[in-house]
Amino acid sequence: MGDRKLSADDVRSLYERHGPALVAYACTFVGRFSDAEDVVHKIFLTLLRGNTVAPDEPLAYLYRAVRNGSLNARRNGARDVPGEDAFNAGDQCFSRRDGDRESALALEKALGELPEEQRETVVLRIWSGMTLEEIASTLGIPLNTVASRYRYALEKLRDSLRPYLNDERGKR
Amino acid sequence: MQDEQLENFLRDFQPRRPRVLPRDRHVWLRRFVAAAAAIAIFLGGSLWLGMRKAARPRVELDVKTQEPSQPRLALVPLTRLALEDPARMDQILSAASREMLPNLQGSDSTLRVLAKE
Repeated sequence: MGDRKLSADDVRSLYERHGPALVAYACTFVGRFSDAEDVVHKIFLTLLRGNTVAPDEPLAYLYRAVRNGSLNARRNGARDVPGEDAFNAGDQCFSRRDGDRESALALEKALGELPEEQRETVVLRIWSGMTLEEIASTLGIPLNTVASRYRYALEKLRDSLRPYLNDERGKR
Repeated sequence: MQDEQLENFLRDFQPRRPRVLPRDRHVWLRRFVAAAAAIAIFLGGSLWLGMRKAARPRVELDVKTQEPSQPRLALVPLTRLALEDPARMDQILSAASREMLPNLQGSDSTLRVLAKE
């Protein structure tokens, strides 16, 4: 790890590029979008104060920081499971590109039903665009474990979202 | 293949965009404190300098006013004067005593105060 510190521009650029995916990842643990956003903001504001030495892998560092921050926030009282409540409160973490609220609600509910470790694997793979190797490195777990978590998660999501998937096939 | 379809379906959803990063309160607070400290130092310095300037001429004035009034009494000239012109010596000693001793004639003179008691 070098002695260089992250400049304000570096930090703002990281936030611009990875903010949405990091908030989605925080949603994995705290459920509500507003709580997840608070967690991510807190981390970036700490970085903006300029006291943090630039990590070798900024992205992996950010995901680990978000994970720790989210678990702390949850311990301190933020809600723990994403789902219908959050969606109805306008506090959902995902939206569909075509604006279909029903399928977005179904997705949040399906994600909420996954075990946490499977949920975070899916979020990191799909919305953060990480490879399974990168996920294993970020979480500090074996690649095989990541691969099996991801496989189980997809199976469950396929079951939960089957009606919407069939609709999708019908459209195409 | 099925996994790929599901992944593509999932990617059709996007994470909600968070609001713009708020400004750090600590940074603003630190800037405010630094600015307040700079202003306080400037005002304090100006006040101190002003007070010093105001005090200095007064001291000089006191010195100036006292210097000429102080009689120059020296033993040899006074002895010579006593021998040559005793009346003049009395005059000089009286003037010197008025400068050096407390006033005995004013309304708040030491003697009047003591007399009232």
